[in-house]
Amino acid sequence: MKRQRYRIKLIAMLLILCFLGLAAWGAWSVSHYGNRWFSHAGNVRLNALKKEVTEGDILDRNGILLAHTNENGVRVFRESAADRSSLVHILGDRQRQIANTVESLQAGYLYGYQSSLPDAVYRLIRKTGRCGNNVSLTIDADLCTEAAAAFMRHEKTGGRSGAAVVMNYRTGEILAMISLPSFDPDNVSEEIIGALDQPYWNRALQAQVPPGSTFKMVTAAAMLSRGSAGAADPFVCSGSLEVSDTFTVHDFSGVSHGTLMLSQAFTRSCNVFFASQALKLGSDAMQAAAEDFGFNRNFLFRDLVVSNSAYPRGAQSPAALAASGYGQSAITLSPMHLCLMTGAVANDGIMMEPRVVRSVRSASGAGVLSWSAASLMTVCEPSVARQLQLLMKDAVQGGGSGAAAAVTTLDIRGKTGTSESTDHGSKVNYGWFTGYNAQTDLPVAVTVLVENIPDGETGGTTAARIVKDIFTYIRNHPDRVQ
Amino acid sequence: MSRKRAAPKRGLSGLVALFFFLGFGLLALKRGTLESAVPALALPAVILLASWLLPLLFPLDRLLLSLVSFLSGLGILVLYITDPSLALHQMAACGVGLAAMLCSASFVRLHSRRSGWAMILGVLGLTLLCLPVLFGKEMYGARNWLDIGALSFQPSEIVKPVLVFCLAAWMSERRILPCLLFSALCLLLLMLQKDLGTALLYFAVALLIWWMASGSLSVLAAGLLGGGAAAVWGYHHFAHVRRRVEIWIDPWKDYQNAGYQLVQSLVAIASGGLFGVGLGLGAPDSIPIHTSDFIFSAVCEQFGLIFGACVLSVYALLIWRSASVARAARYRFHGLLAMGSALFLGLQAFLIIGGVLKLIPLTGVTLPFVSYGGTSMVSSFCLLGLIQGVESLNREALDGDAHLAMLGT
Repeated sequence: MKRQRYRIKLIAMLLILCFLGLAAWGAWSVSHYGNRWFSHAGNVRLNALKKEVTEGDILDRNGILLAHTNENGVRVFRESAADRSSLVHILGDRQRQIANTVESLQAGYLYGYQSSLPDAVYRLIRKTGRCGNNVSLTIDADLCTEAAAAFMRHEKTGGRSGAAVVMNYRTGEILAMISLPSFDPDNVSEEIIGALDQPYWNRALQAQVPPGSTFKMVTAAAMLSRGSAGAADPFVCSGSLEVSDTFTVHDFSGVSHGTLMLSQAFTRSCNVFFASQALKLGSDAMQAAAEDFGFNRNFLFRDLVVSNSAYPRGAQSPAALAASGYGQSAITLSPMHLCLMTGAVANDGIMMEPRVVRSVRSASGAGVLSWSAASLMTVCEPSVARQLQLLMKDAVQGGGSGAAAAVTTLDIRGKTGTSESTDHGSKVNYGWFTGYNAQTDLPVAVTVLVENIPDGETGGTTAARIVKDIFTYIRNHPDRVQ
Repeated sequence: MSRKRAAPKRGLSGLVALFFFLGFGLLALKRGTLESAVPALALPAVILLASWLLPLLFPLDRLLLSLVSFLSGLGILVLYITDPSLALHQMAACGVGLAAMLCSASFVRLHSRRSGWAMILGVLGLTLLCLPVLFGKEMYGARNWLDIGALSFQPSEIVKPVLVFCLAAWMSERRILPCLLFSALCLLLLMLQKDLGTALLYFAVALLIWWMASGSLSVLAAGLLGGGAAAVWGYHHFAHVRRRVEIWIDPWKDYQNAGYQLVQSLVAIASGGLFGVGLGLGAPDSIPIHTSDFIFSAVCEQFGLIFGACVLSVYALLIWRSASVARAARYRFHGLLAMGSALFLGLQAFLIIGGVLKLIPLTGVTLPFVSYGGTSMVSSFCLLGLIQGVESLNREALDGDAHLAMLGT
């Protein structure tokens, strides 16, 4: 009888604890995702609101007005066409064809669904209609324009498609994000849109492309953190490795690298080395390392919708496993995710949550939301991250494959990548460069993806040059991104 | 065991009555018709009268009564905003529910020798559960409704108090076999009705009553393992279980079809924010099944998350108070009866609120005392009646002790 009373008390306490957890979960999820839920396209309240409220302004990190609603109720973007087209994937177009933009994801704030009492008083005094909140972004609008211009300068082929992401890897602030081909939202004609290759698609967030040699960061991290013997042992590269009867790994243009260690293999981007290391590590260790870096994870960020990245689950065939060592087979990721990974290595193993909204203020100037940094996950031990940082330093500054990205007076480190996939039966080549500046006062990571590079070109050429231009801008305007 | 618990005065029900007077009064002012002022007076009057008259019949716990009148009033208020005729039905259901509560409380008071009754009730309950399998009609993928003339009801709701009564009776006498048989048959029949949310609820309550009575951790572990295995089996064999889990993981993927209900629920909760959009405002109509499964989202939209947390704490208080009733009981049977009933109410509230907040997959059960639905209302009041019956016996026993003590001095 006494015991039964005790058990009754225990069950009641557990159940009440469940209710406490429920309340905590509700508070957390609404404070985290509430604005995004409200801004969802399926919300009927929003459509009613749009008829009676003047949408708030969008500003960049330096206070430049990016979007504003004038007296006639027309949304006005920046003055020059180049500025407008470099920002269209972040802000959104007038027809709302681009998915998950600031205009759509932040609609809850921009239309000020919940206006506070001071705002109501302010409206009464100023006799204005209902106004939404003003949203300040972490974006540097001029850097976006500069990044788009760098693509135009360096990419000689006709396609001019790709993406670039620039972020502060200590805080997670996205400084710039562009997707090409782009278009001017004030000058949209069917012919232009039809002639461009999927301009509504935000490649920076939605592309799912093999990472190529940039994935060697993950393979190297797997070797270093799992104490694989290969890290210290010399390895002889003969230029090719026969994995099975039908699959042989070749190095770029068939060069044989001779005897090398992990550091030389990384700087020279030796495929044979990383393929054999992946085979040594095995499917499970490779999958675990990739998942530590965010592969196969459901990305749920507050301000951004990013495609999930994939690393093959379970046991792989030797050919697929070997190819995964240098970022081929079925591995895919987005430029945003690669930038997060690079930033995590630069940040001693801690990946920050990417954010685009810096602050939200009501029409009367009262703060509604202010930005705060949040770490997302730990991708590797700090000691492993530091070793990776040195490998990436050599790849750029030690005469490695990424030499073209080096900028004087900055400490640029990074990794090149060249990958291929088939798109509707035709082969597409991708050039990657992902890198960062190691100086503590300018903690910036940059990732560039160039689509449709011609045969014979690599990520070390076009993509690295675009990255160099972006870093040069950052060096010349440090105050704009700090 | 003569711990005296402070009996709350009439103040709390007065507060509840005031809340609904203000709520319905505001709505009446907004609508500006004379007839809309009727519920503003009628509902508080009923609440006050019930808290005054009912304890005259036999001792009742006023706190439980006030908490439940708050929850049922809240349901009526939210229903009244979208459809006044539903609110009228719900008020009638509350009246029937109060009568049912008195009946089940009296039943507990009158039948201390329960073995015979448990058997009869058990057989009746199983028969009821069989009916929808044979003649039922399908709603939302489950075949758990029964039509008898103009009356349509859910037997699985009515059998809840029966399950608690029978298990409490048999477990307190350590008659394992009928317990096992009865629980298994109930679960089987619910599975056949494809009413998996209710089956989960029955399973959890049966397992916990069993553990409360026996204290055997191995049985609890075996039950949990078996339940887990059944869940995995169900996931692989029922397409709609898989769909529920998929929706739970990512409702946004297919927000116009599969994820529609949950997305609209989350959108509504987010629209409310901390303080809500205000009584009668917002767009509760846009939430599917906002009168029943998703009524908590409609409450959150209009009253805000802080109020939603208050509703949660009302359920927590209800559980705590029932637990203290169960702990004060003089017989094992009464303790199991009171706590079993509280478990049904509490777990059901947790399942559905967790579902609409996307903490767990949606199970499609009603929110006790709040959701629209006559059967659910009567069943919840019956469970409350079991607790109240135990409480009245406790009080009388306590008074008897005091009387004896006085004679002794």
